[in-house]
Amino acid sequence: MGALTDKYCIVGVGETPHMRPSNRTTLSMACEAVKKAMADAGLEPRDVDGMTSYQAGDSTTSNHVATSLGMRLNYSVDIFGGGSSTEALIGNTIGLLEAGYCKTMVIFRSMNGRSGRRMGGQAPSGPVPPTRAAEDNQFMMPWGWTSPAQRFGMSAMRYLRDTGTTTKSLAEIAVAHRYHASLNPKAVMRHPITIDDHQNSRWVVKPLRLLDCCLETDVSACLIVTSRERAYDLRQPPVFIMGGTGRTMAPNSAWNYSRPEIHYVAGNYGRNRLFGMAGISQKDVNLISCYDAFTFTTLIQLEAYGFCGKGEAGEFVKGGRLQIDHELPSNLSGGHLSEGYTHGVSMVIENVRQLRHRADDACPGWAEGTHSYDRQAGCRQVKDARIAACLGWGTETMSSSAILRGIAA
Amino acid sequence: MPGPIDYSKITITPDFDTVEWWMGTKEHKYLVRQCKDCGHKWFPPFPACNKCNSMDLDWFETAGTGVLHSYIVVTQPILGAFVEAVPYVVGLIELDDCHEADGSLVRVGGVMLDDEEDVAIGLPVTVEFEQTNEANIVVPRWKISGTADNTWKFSE
Repeated sequence: MGALTDKYCIVGVGETPHMRPSNRTTLSMACEAVKKAMADAGLEPRDVDGMTSYQAGDSTTSNHVATSLGMRLNYSVDIFGGGSSTEALIGNTIGLLEAGYCKTMVIFRSMNGRSGRRMGGQAPSGPVPPTRAAEDNQFMMPWGWTSPAQRFGMSAMRYLRDTGTTTKSLAEIAVAHRYHASLNPKAVMRHPITIDDHQNSRWVVKPLRLLDCCLETDVSACLIVTSRERAYDLRQPPVFIMGGTGRTMAPNSAWNYSRPEIHYVAGNYGRNRLFGMAGISQKDVNLISCYDAFTFTTLIQLEAYGFCGKGEAGEFVKGGRLQIDHELPSNLSGGHLSEGYTHGVSMVIENVRQLRHRADDACPGWAEGTHSYDRQAGCRQVKDARIAACLGWGTETMSSSAILRGIAA
Repeated sequence: MPGPIDYSKITITPDFDTVEWWMGTKEHKYLVRQCKDCGHKWFPPFPACNKCNSMDLDWFETAGTGVLHSYIVVTQPILGAFVEAVPYVVGLIELDDCHEADGSLVRVGGVMLDDEEDVAIGLPVTVEFEQTNEANIVVPRWKISGTADNTWKFSE
């Protein structure tokens, strides 16, 4: 176990509805998400003295959010990045709280991911100004190889070739996450899908189909972290941070493609640190969030983090193993594939709600932790949820993670 | 063969680390970086040798041949420049003459001149330089150049 295991807790979560479009500024959405997270925790603006966020030149800053909400911060910083940032910032936060830079910290992401800046470029249907190819993009964009689907697709194709996995395994992930979204009133895509629906959906970039790709939505999402001592005084059952990693890299991180195996991803280099710090093994984990920018990113991280052997993920996901009431339920909110797109925060939020036994589902008593566990009636609370692994993804060569536990674990 | 690519819709801005590479394409040279101290080769042209940390660097002119290591087939264009080009294949090419004794190698991307039906992992490929509709830009394209055993094609 790590020296700081269980010393810091996630005490508040909140988010805006997933919209397409929001017709709001990222500042306005961030203020709402932070307010909701404070209300969830039972905190006032004066109780928060640290704030951090991540963005890609597409969002507001901690400075503006704190000013709007009347906070005076003792620590604030906004970093560059997308996926893999959430868990990395949880790590930063633990260090800052431990060092005494601040006492209670907000982590947020706010993005008009559909109506504002979209990942990888512009849609061909819209106006198409010249696109600047600079830095490492000089050797991808001019070859029409720029969007995340196009980039990760190259590794996915080689993975299929090297392991004999078929796209039916990718379909299993799309089906599982959509099933969970069907139990989540907040999710954008709620109608259940089948393996055949996946196989019949149109190609985006082979080997990835439409139903392999996440949604793009406008949203802000927020976590609040503080010490265990403060957490016990707050409104919700605390969720303890057992361990984590922050943007762990594979070798040659800035150019995945000259590595011996382009699908031997960064989680392989982080998993022993993660489970070592948390003091548990994969078998102790009751549920996961496994970053689903694409079905493939979930698939490959299952083996990277040791939930199955190398090259075995295609078999591992079969038979609904990732669905609720099965062995390793994944992305209980529906994830980025089916709930909406937050660059990772929403997956951690869902794990927090699950570990509190307060998944915000159709059960009338969910806010008090009363669940029916009747999936037909719309309950999505995992029974006996005690430990959750959050497996963030930035690229093949960059991954962050966290292991959380609820009060009963 | 894929449709035309409109390079007027991409602004390529070489920087101090890459300008000589882009000048090389105009002379139909496919360059990679090479360390003057230890001989290591790499691409893209990051400004230091990641084996010995030397910053005393040279360029190595490759033969422009390799083996297709992976590929994607883009059916939905993201960039305006590629709206007329779809469907096109982006290949990941493992260069023949950049293998080193410790297993280090160089793979580069590029748009294939071949259609999806003719592409398979494991096939040999060769570079062809293409003058674009922008006077200043010559891009390397890649073409299947032969046959091989144990090739692999994506099947739906």
